Amino acid sequence: MGDSKAPQVDHASALDDRAKERLQHIRTADIIVGIPSYNNADSIGRVIKAIDLGLAKYFSDKKSIILISEGGDLSGTIDAVDALKDKHYFESSFIAKPSSYTEILVTKYRGTSGKGTAVKAIFEAAKMLNVQAGAMLDSDLRSISPEWIELLISPIIYKDFGFVTPYYSRHKYDGTITNMIAFPMTWSLYGRRVRQPIGGDFGFSLGLIHSLLSKDVWETDIARFGIDIWMTTVAICENFKICQSFLGAKIHDDKDPGKDLSPMFKQVVGTIFGLMKIYPDNWLQIKGSRPTAIFGFESEVAPKPINIDAENMINKFKQSVPECMPVWKKVLGEENCRKLEEVSRMEPQLFEMPVDLWIKSLFDFALAYNLRVDGLKPEQVIETLVPVYYAITASFVRRTQNLDSHQAEEVITNQCSFFEKLKPYLVERWESET
Amino acid sequence: MKKKVLVVDDEKNIRLLLKEELSDEGYDVVTAESGAVALNMIQTEKPDLVTLDIKMPGEDGLSILRKIREIEYDLPVIICSAYSVYKSDFSAVAADHYVTKSSDFEELKNKIKEILSYDSG
Repeated sequence: MGDSKAPQVDHASALDDRAKERLQHIRTADIIVGIPSYNNADSIGRVIKAIDLGLAKYFSDKKSIILISEGGDLSGTIDAVDALKDKHYFESSFIAKPSSYTEILVTKYRGTSGKGTAVKAIFEAAKMLNVQAGAMLDSDLRSISPEWIELLISPIIYKDFGFVTPYYSRHKYDGTITNMIAFPMTWSLYGRRVRQPIGGDFGFSLGLIHSLLSKDVWETDIARFGIDIWMTTVAICENFKICQSFLGAKIHDDKDPGKDLSPMFKQVVGTIFGLMKIYPDNWLQIKGSRPTAIFGFESEVAPKPINIDAENMINKFKQSVPECMPVWKKVLGEENCRKLEEVSRMEPQLFEMPVDLWIKSLFDFALAYNLRVDGLKPEQVIETLVPVYYAITASFVRRTQNLDSHQAEEVITNQCSFFEKLKPYLVERWESET
Repeated sequence: MKKKVLVVDDEKNIRLLLKEELSDEGYDVVTAESGAVALNMIQTEKPDLVTLDIKMPGEDGLSILRKIREIEYDLPVIICSAYSVYKSDFSAVAADHYVTKSSDFEELKNKIKEILSYDSG
């Protein structure tokens, strides 16, 4: 179906009246670049400068808008934008100042608090302005350059793609939810190898925006951190042309997965699982996997090292066993449950979670989440998956500690192929229980 | 109906050898000696799959792969190169599979069979 306009559903708008008024006054634009933000006044200035310079350098013949969709303190973000009003950064950049400056709007979105709602406000603005293309960039980026704008928008405008996902050079321990779950699940379920399905920096067509806005999902985890994987999955399942753009290193505010990723984990994984029920025809029949086109120029950059406390994750896994076991017994196949119990008894220095056990367990959790096994609530299922994720992440860290990022990447890719091979286990269980 | 495979390689012997090997497997095989010719043949011959060498005079295989993805987004492409070093080039991820050339074409034949079986269910 590609870029055809989807039927509209009337939902409460994420844009307030003031923002709408301003957009009505602007009337149209060719490009919108949105920044979902939550109290990122410290880092957002750099992101805005890079976007502004990128638009001037690569799309000077287009009318563009930058929209910051803020979920936290509006005044801090407005101050950060005001500090840039003289546009001094053009003078040191060798990029010619455009004849008219790109307008920068700041708005506080309305609705469920979370990244997804911030993105919805950007989409609504894109639709109001009837843009040709849009991009979205995280507000905590440290490594963004003006070239990112070209790489995310050009495939939409000049190559007719519907969705551009990022391809970064990341440290082997950066993006563990991506590497352990989002990438292999997208690969194996929908048969599309998209390296960064929850990357946060995307390019999109107006057709995709129409399709995304037509769905009634804005009271779910999609309104929070589930937004990125939802966009990617919808783009795949609704046959939008997808490509990847190599953006270089992604340096942002890093997080230790064992410390503060739990809400994000639950929202992303809950969305991945939930989408399986919405798009069964798009994964049950899919065999094998297909690559995704890629643009850009590979620079040899060394990503910033990320430290992960594997011991902490192993301890968390072991400590959770007594509490989680009653749920695991309902969720997991008998053999997987027994093996997981064995793993939990391993000495910390010898600790290892077998990859096939992880994959089959994850598939069991996906099934239990969707089919409400033994009356379990989806939240309970996800809650008890967290320690198992800690176990596989710690195990991955142990297996790859002496490998460079290229070698670790091969381990991740092989793991994805293993997901693909074991997919019949999930399909058989799903079909026998639905 | 026979599936059509386009073999892209600048070495004549490899083209002939692959044509023979893949014809024996039941494929309709057409060949191209350069990327430019291959891009043209993709439009005219409508192959079901392409095997693509990387080191070729003129435009290299990875650049051709990028162009293939623009004109035929979902056309299966297997890189078939004597060099394994390009496997870590990010551009190679746009290929369905990467096979290092050897005297034994089993891996290539198995991959072609596997990829073409996705389409036929």
